[in-house]
Amino acid sequence: MSTPETVTLTIDGVSVEVPRGTGLVEAALAAGIEIPVFCYEPRLGAPVGACRMCLCQVEPGPPKPQAACTLTAQDGMVVRTALTSPVAAEAQNATLEFILVNHPLDCPVCDKGGECPLQDLTFRYGPGNTRMTFPKRTFEKPIPVSPLIALDRERCILCYRCTRFSEVVAEDGQLVAVNRGAGSMIATFDDEPYRAPFSGNVVELCPVGALTSTTYRFEARPWEIQDVPTVCGMCPVGCNVNATTREGKVKRILSRNHPEVDDGWLCDKGRFAYGHLHAQDRLRDPLLRVRRRGFEEVSWERALDEAERLLREAAGRIVTALSGSETVEQAYALAKLLRQGLDAHAAVFCEEISDALDAFRVPLSAIRDADLVAVLGDAPVVERAPIVDLWIKDARRRGARVLHELDEGAVQSADRAILVWCGPGGHGGATVAALAQRLGAAGAFYLPETANGRGVCDAWAAAADVEPTNPEPTNPEPIGLLIVSGDEAAANPDVRALAEQAERVLVVSMFHGVAAGWADLVLPGTSYLERDGTYVNLEGRVQRLRRAVIPPAPDELAWLSKLAERFGVEIQPYPSAVFEEVSGIAFGGIPFGEIGERTPLPAATTEPAAAAVEAPPPAAAADGGLRLVRYRALFSGPAVERIPELQFQRPRPEIELAEADARSRSIRGGDEITIRSNGTSVRLRARLSRELRAGVLRVPEEYAGDLQPTVEIQT
Amino acid sequence: MTTYYDEVQELKQRYPDRRSAVLPALRLAQAKHGHLSTDALRECAEAIGTTPAYCEAVASFYDMFHLAPVGRHLVEVCTNISCALVGARQVLEAFEQELDVTAGETTEDGAVTLRPIECLGGCGWATIVAVDHGYRTHVQPDDVPGIVQELRDGD
Amino acid sequence: MATDSKRIVLAGVDEHDLTKLADYESIGGYSALTKARAMTPQAVTDEVIASELRGRGGAFFPTGRKWSFVPKPDQNPNPHYLVVNADESEPGSFKDNEIMARVPHRFFEGCLIAAHAVESRHIFVYIRGEYTGPYEVLVSALEELETRPDLRGDVTIVVHRGAGAYICGEETALLESLEGKRGQPRTKPPFPAVQGLYASPTVVNNVETLATVPAIIELGGAEYAKLGVPDSRGTRVVSISGHVERPGNYEIENGLSMRELIYGLGGGIPNGRTLKAVIPGGSSTVILRGDEIDVGYDFTSLLKLNTAMGSAGVIALDDRCCMVQLGIRVSEFYEHESCGKCTPCREGTRWMTQILRRLESGEAVQSELDLLLDVCDRINGKCLCPLGETAAIAVASYVDKFRAEFQAHIDEAGCPFGDSSPLHDVPAPVSLHASSPAAAEFV
Ligand SMILES: Cc1cc2nc3c(=O)[nH]c(=O)nc-3n(C[C@H](O)[C@H](O)[C@H](O)COP(=O)(O)O)c2cc1C
Ligand code: SF4
Ligand code: FES
Repeated sequence: MSTPETVTLTIDGVSVEVPRGTGLVEAALAAGIEIPVFCYEPRLGAPVGACRMCLCQVEPGPPKPQAACTLTAQDGMVVRTALTSPVAAEAQNATLEFILVNHPLDCPVCDKGGECPLQDLTFRYGPGNTRMTFPKRTFEKPIPVSPLIALDRERCILCYRCTRFSEVVAEDGQLVAVNRGAGSMIATFDDEPYRAPFSGNVVELCPVGALTSTTYRFEARPWEIQDVPTVCGMCPVGCNVNATTREGKVKRILSRNHPEVDDGWLCDKGRFAYGHLHAQDRLRDPLLRVRRRGFEEVSWERALDEAERLLREAAGRIVTALSGSETVEQAYALAKLLRQGLDAHAAVFCEEISDALDAFRVPLSAIRDADLVAVLGDAPVVERAPIVDLWIKDARRRGARVLHELDEGAVQSADRAILVWCGPGGHGGATVAALAQRLGAAGAFYLPETANGRGVCDAWAAAADVEPTNPEPTNPEPIGLLIVSGDEAAANPDVRALAEQAERVLVVSMFHGVAAGWADLVLPGTSYLERDGTYVNLEGRVQRLRRAVIPPAPDELAWLSKLAERFGVEIQPYPSAVFEEVSGIAFGGIPFGEIGERTPLPAATTEPAAAAVEAPPPAAAADGGLRLVRYRALFSGPAVERIPELQFQRPRPEIELAEADARSRSIRGGDEITIRSNGTSVRLRARLSRELRAGVLRVPEEYAGDLQPTVEIQT
Repeated sequence: MTTYYDEVQELKQRYPDRRSAVLPALRLAQAKHGHLSTDALRECAEAIGTTPAYCEAVASFYDMFHLAPVGRHLVEVCTNISCALVGARQVLEAFEQELDVTAGETTEDGAVTLRPIECLGGCGWATIVAVDHGYRTHVQPDDVPGIVQELRDGD
Repeated sequence: MATDSKRIVLAGVDEHDLTKLADYESIGGYSALTKARAMTPQAVTDEVIASELRGRGGAFFPTGRKWSFVPKPDQNPNPHYLVVNADESEPGSFKDNEIMARVPHRFFEGCLIAAHAVESRHIFVYIRGEYTGPYEVLVSALEELETRPDLRGDVTIVVHRGAGAYICGEETALLESLEGKRGQPRTKPPFPAVQGLYASPTVVNNVETLATVPAIIELGGAEYAKLGVPDSRGTRVVSISGHVERPGNYEIENGLSMRELIYGLGGGIPNGRTLKAVIPGGSSTVILRGDEIDVGYDFTSLLKLNTAMGSAGVIALDDRCCMVQLGIRVSEFYEHESCGKCTPCREGTRWMTQILRRLESGEAVQSELDLLLDVCDRINGKCLCPLGETAAIAVASYVDKFRAEFQAHIDEAGCPFGDSSPLHDVPAPVSLHASSPAAAEFV
């Protein structure tokens, strides 16, 4: 029975009640009936009704079959699909015949074979044999759409999913359909590569083998693979992914759609950077510095002896630099060994994290439903937490105002304002929490730079066996031993500066060369795809990592547990056991087993943590100079550097400046300009930005040289 | 002197949404460059505020845009039903002979591109030939040498 | 045009130069606008409803009803748009061409009255790009109008040129094109009246429809409705072309017999030939045999023969014409003009052409004739918009009405007409686009 919020309709004789506004395809699913589709994909905006696969008989309505994907369920509607309507069955059969008229029958050599909707539907509804005796349309094939994506135009069924993604979701406007009618084809402009942060999603959207990833082509067949449900560890969003493995190797990464976190999208870093697991310079054995000769590979026994010696000799004068990519369990184990076993509390976190935000905790999907989104902090969102950028774009398409500076009045008068802090300062979110509190925002986010910065901070704090120290422990002078946990920490210039002062340095790293010249002992690190454990994403959601493949060396938890034993500290080598220990202290005691495949978000705390209200930094620097925001580009870092196919996505030597600043200096997009500060200068191409506030410049870290935070443009 | 960019800004003013100016902006770009070269498409994209790919997607949908080089003059012979019924094929053949090209081609000197075209909406005055977009009505094969001469004289 | 049976839309064109504002005003032009503006929008719409005017663009939808679907400004605060369909690209139709070229002010007057009725202050005229002549006439008429704020009022009129795509005559494709996109039709609902241009309430009307409106206001709806026959009131500008002595546009009272159209107004078949077939309403309509023309040129009469007035493009074909060749030319046209969005139209029209070419060349076997009909059948009723469907219906009607001729192509393993048919081997259009982009290595 329908209620004001629901409608009741009949599909193939089955009566079903669904919420008002439900699409017919979904309504049928609710009745246990599949209406086959190709072009329909609700995440791509309004349905287009292009492929005609979903034709059904619908009453009331015109006598001819209707595209079910474009209709919403109405009270009393009677829908007949191919199951019960000969008209619909004939229509579906016709559509399939038309699609196959020009589609090559090359399933055995097609990369999509075995997981292809067209193949499946042809078996179910298609014509038995072909009546098409003419030459099929031919195209040059396959052609590279980019180093990451190959396009086979003969296989394309022109469902326009890929181009709609490019236009409507990613809004990059790069992958388009050209020509008209039977000559239509998918293309990029002038054969340039599809260079955009989310390009890889089109491979997953394509319902046939027209768009395939160059890194997966011919690597595996569907019956030889296993999908491991895990979480991406490349940024603080923590997109839910499946790692496809074959014979112990990761072959591709697919989305596992968490509707609150990622809506089924991935950025190209998360999708394609898995190749770093097989990097040529991957470390498999511990390395010990031998006088001036450099490193020597040593056995694990020997390495642990050396590590024990380093730890003992430092006599507590230890500083630990954390990456923020450790699992909660690794970070906790390390902290427990150091803090409880060696009374060494000094740590360098990659960034500051505040739990003041917990009072404004909402899922990322809440951004989509906001009526105002204020993005503060001046760093580019897409480079830090790419998926957040897609949520913001979605919000804008749905009519939200998106501001890139703080308009307090606008925030206060909005019904559902969401604040997003992305950039330097902000005290790990304390500032934005305080703003949210004062202005009555519906939710607030702080975008950390690291994947598990939150979890690592929580784990480190949880391992303190003393009352929280106040003030924070300071670094010993001189530093006896610097422990560098992971490649992000090793790449951090501040950490490198500490290493200069430290008597000894122990580094955990995945790659040869990272620690060469400055470490005394290097232990091989593992990747998020090789670990079991938990990450806490930027929403505060505890998510489960599952080991997709076995690492080439024992993982951190295994050797930490052994090392700890030597100091009488008990650490279980199992993530489940370690998590249970931390959870009681830091995560409200959720059991490990309850972190399902799609973790819910813990409720917001009711008491906002007191935090000083601080205004975001003014756009222009105090002395009239411009403020420079350096940022780590999405396509940078040790993993990306090791994937040849991703190199074309590396940032360009460009400086972004606000249109107003460009106009007042007569700078046009593409001009070479010189930026200087304190005697150093950098020359880069100018890119004009509509988002940037006047008075702020943005440069990717790798091109920023020694520029100071305040700069001027030399004209 | 107003630049292409400025002209497009003016076009944008006519519409509630700047994207509506794409067609007129492409027409201007084609007039300026002769055909919609990649440079022309880039220039159009820049002026409208969209991507060159978008401009190409739109341009390639419409028959009046040329994404490949064309001659200085364009001769388009309607070969749809009404014109065909009264001899459009013969008119087209006369042009082929006179210009020494096959329909769809450009003369060697780059002067004239000849192509058949779909119904031009002048069926009652067939055969219609659009010479540089100006309609010639009731064209017979005999008229063809004169039209070609006219174009050559005009150059 | 002396033999036009009744003139409403083209009234006065032979006596005056109605492209000039002064001349148009001298015969009472723009007085209907003044009269309409003194009426409420609803009253104007009611007059048009009373006139029983139906759209002249092809779908024959009652104009007043269409206007009444537009939400009132207080129901939808978005700007309302009036969009004129001046894309006239249906093979056989050239009436709007002449209307715009000869009575631009009557047309604009109709636009302004319609804008008043639907409370719109923005008019876009989407004119097909090839119509440079009519475009220039409209532009200069508009310049004159710009000097007369008393007439134009606070309404802006933008003449927007298309760029060569038949599909942009379909109203939602037209709106997409006007929004600067590829001209691909949208799914309906939502209908333009509710969500049209820029997602706002929009009325799309044909040129002739609007050029008829001043007379309706002037005469009163009921008076106008006295013209014509039930269901097809008033006059219609009919384009006659093909094998007739006097091709051209003729304004007639709806219901005039088709025989009169072809043999009276059109002057009969030239060169002593006989009439083989008539396409009654542009290439997308079901063909009539030469012996089926004793029928009124109106909606109901033609419906009885399963065909329609469509865009009023009447094409006469004499006895030399091969129907398979006609099929090829028509099928090629729709294949070339298919927007490529929906599968049956994009793939089906191409397939139809391929089969027809084999029939014409004499290579086809018996089953291919059935296959052709089956392909038509499979397109029909499955498409996103009527383009593909009309192609299928039209071509299937050639087989239906001239089955023996199609059969002869198979039995005789070739075309019985060959070169003697004027439709023999007519080249199809060529797009001046770059071909498929070459493969490039990026890595
Ligand atoms: C493929 C196709 C082409 C069309 N071409 C035109 C056209 O060129 N001119 C026109 O007025 N209507 C054309 N129409 C009809 C329009 O969709 C629409 O019905 C009409 O503009 C409404 O105006 P009216 O109600 O005044 O007739 C076409 C329809 C289709 C399906
Ligand atoms: S490439 Fe794939 S996703 Fe894109 S239109 Fe073709 S079939 Fe659809
Ligand atoms: S799924 Fe409905 S038309 Fe494609």
